[in-house]
Amino acid sequence: MGKVLMKGNEVIAEAAVHAGCKYLFSYPITPQSELVAYMAKRLPEVGGLFLQAESEVAAINMVYGAASAGVRVMTSSSSPGVSLKQEGISYLVGSELPAVVVNIMRGGPGLGSIQPAQSDYFQATKGGGHGDYQIPVYAPATLQEIVDLMRDAFNLADRYRTPVYILGDGMLGQMMEPVEFKEVVNEELPPKDWATTATRGDGGPKLTNSLFLDPAELEEHNNHLQAKYAKIKEAEVRYESYLLDDADYVIVAYGTVSRIAKNAIKEARNQGIKVGMIRPITLWPFPEQPFIETRDRVKGYLTVEMSAGQMVEDVRLAVEGRKPVFFYGRTGGMVPGQEEILEKIIEMAGGEQ
Amino acid sequence: MLANAPRIKIITGHFGSGKTEISINLSLMEKENHDKVAITDLDVINPYFRSREVRSHFEEKEIELIAPKGELATADLPIVSGETNRVLHDPNYHLIIDVGGDKDGATALGQYYNDLKNLNYEMIFVINTNRPYVSTVEGMKATIKQIERVSRLKVSGLINNTNLGLETSLAVIEKGYEIALQASKQLDLPLLYTTISNNLLEETKEFASTHDVKYIQRFMTLPWE
Repeated sequence: MGKVLMKGNEVIAEAAVHAGCKYLFSYPITPQSELVAYMAKRLPEVGGLFLQAESEVAAINMVYGAASAGVRVMTSSSSPGVSLKQEGISYLVGSELPAVVVNIMRGGPGLGSIQPAQSDYFQATKGGGHGDYQIPVYAPATLQEIVDLMRDAFNLADRYRTPVYILGDGMLGQMMEPVEFKEVVNEELPPKDWATTATRGDGGPKLTNSLFLDPAELEEHNNHLQAKYAKIKEAEVRYESYLLDDADYVIVAYGTVSRIAKNAIKEARNQGIKVGMIRPITLWPFPEQPFIETRDRVKGYLTVEMSAGQMVEDVRLAVEGRKPVFFYGRTGGMVPGQEEILEKIIEMAGGEQ
Repeated sequence: MLANAPRIKIITGHFGSGKTEISINLSLMEKENHDKVAITDLDVINPYFRSREVRSHFEEKEIELIAPKGELATADLPIVSGETNRVLHDPNYHLIIDVGGDKDGATALGQYYNDLKNLNYEMIFVINTNRPYVSTVEGMKATIKQIERVSRLKVSGLINNTNLGLETSLAVIEKGYEIALQASKQLDLPLLYTTISNNLLEETKEFASTHDVKYIQRFMTLPWE
C-alpha cells in the first residue's frame, strides 16, 4: 500500500486499526468527529465494533468493560468530553486496564471554542481524575508520527496495564498530510491472563476492580502503581532534539507548535542566533535528560504553547533554576505565528544580533 | 469560457477531495469573465479550513462570499445562509456552491433541489484517488450515488484533483488521471479537467500540453507552510 492523503483524525483511526484495535466507544465532538465517523465505517470491515455511546461517561465505562475482556479498545473525544471521562479514566488506572484515550484539544475552559489548543496538558500529565496516578501521554507532531505512535500506545498500554493518552490539538486532527501504513510485526506481549474471559476450573473468579476497603491493601496497591510509574519513567521517555549541538538558546514545544517553531528557529539562525529545540514526544514521562545535558551550556529556554503556560512548569523543574525559562503562549484557539516566535527568540537573545 | 456554460457550478466530492480549494479557484476564474460572482460556503461538515477563512481575499477581488459571518463563522453549528437564495435566482450572478464532503455534506444541498432543478447548473464531483474509500471506480460510484440520493441532483462531470498534498508529483497526478479516466467511461460522466497546484507548474508542463489542466493556487495552508 502506497501513500494516502488523510486527515489527522482519520489517521488516528486507521493507525489504531493497524495496531489491532477492534473497539471504539465514543461520542462525537468537534474537532475529532471525523475519527468517530471513520471508525463507524472502518471497524465493521475488520470484524470490530464502533458504538456511539449516549454520553462520554457511558463511553469510558464501555471502554472499562471491553478492556476487562482483554481486547484492544479506544475512546476519543475533545477537551470538554475528556473532562467528562475523567472518573472512568481513574477507574481504568485503579483496575490496571489497558486502553487508549485520544484527546484532540480545543480552546477552553468550559465549552470554549472549536479551534485548536494545548490547554489540557495539566489534565493529561498531572492526573486529571482523582487519586495518585500518572498516565503515559504521547504527543505526535505529524500525521506520519501518529501512525507510529498509535502502535506504541497500544503496546505500552498492554505491557504496563495502563490507559495511555494520545494528545493532539484540533489542527493535528483536521489537517491533511500524506501517510503510509507499513506492515509491522508486533512485539511479543505478556498474555492477558487477568482478563475476565471466564475461568476453566483453574482458580478463583477473575475480577477487574479498583475498590480496596482495607487501607493497608490500598496503600500496597498504590505502591505497586508507583513502582510501575518508576519503570515507565525509566524506559519510555521519548523526545526529539533539533539543532541542539551548538545552540545558545532552546525552544521547547510539542505537537503542531513545534512545526511552527522549527521555521522560526531556521529564520533565527539566518539572523545569527543559534537556536535549537527540544520536542517532548512523551509529555509524561517528561524528558528530563535533554535539559540535564543542555542546562549548563545554553543561555536560556523558551517554551511555546497553545496555552497560558502549562508544560513550562515541567521545563522549569527540569532546568532547576540554572537558566532563565521564558514562555510564549496563545490561547482560546489562537495559533502562535512564526514571526511572533521569532520576535520572542530575538528578545530572549537580547535584541537583534 | 463558453457563452452557454452553466451559470451555477456545484462542487461536490468525497470528504477531503479538495472541493474548497477548487471552489475558491473557480470563483477567481469566473471573476475574470463575469462582473457578478458569488461563492456560497455550504460546508456544514468541516470545522476548519473552509472557504469563509479567506473572506478578506474575496473582498479584495470583489467576489461575494456567502457564509456565516463574525463569530458564527467559527461556530460549531450547521449554518446555511439565507443569502444563497438571492444569488441562486439572480441571473446576473455566476455562482459557485462549495458543498461539504460526502453524503453528509451534500444533505445541506438537498434543500435547494426545487430551486436548482429549473436552473442552468452543472454538478461536479471532485476526485482524489489518494483518499481512502475513493481510490477505485467502485468507491467513487458509491459516493456519487449517495450524494445524488441526498441532494436529489445528478452529477454531470468529474474533476481529477488527485494529489498527495506537498508530496504530489507528476507520477501521482498521472496515476490519478488514469483512474479518473476509467471512472469517466464506466460512470458515463465527462472528465472535465485535471487540477494541479501551481507550485508544480514546471514539473507538469508536458502533461498540461496534452491534457486539459487548470492550475490552482492553494489557500488552505498550515501555519508552518
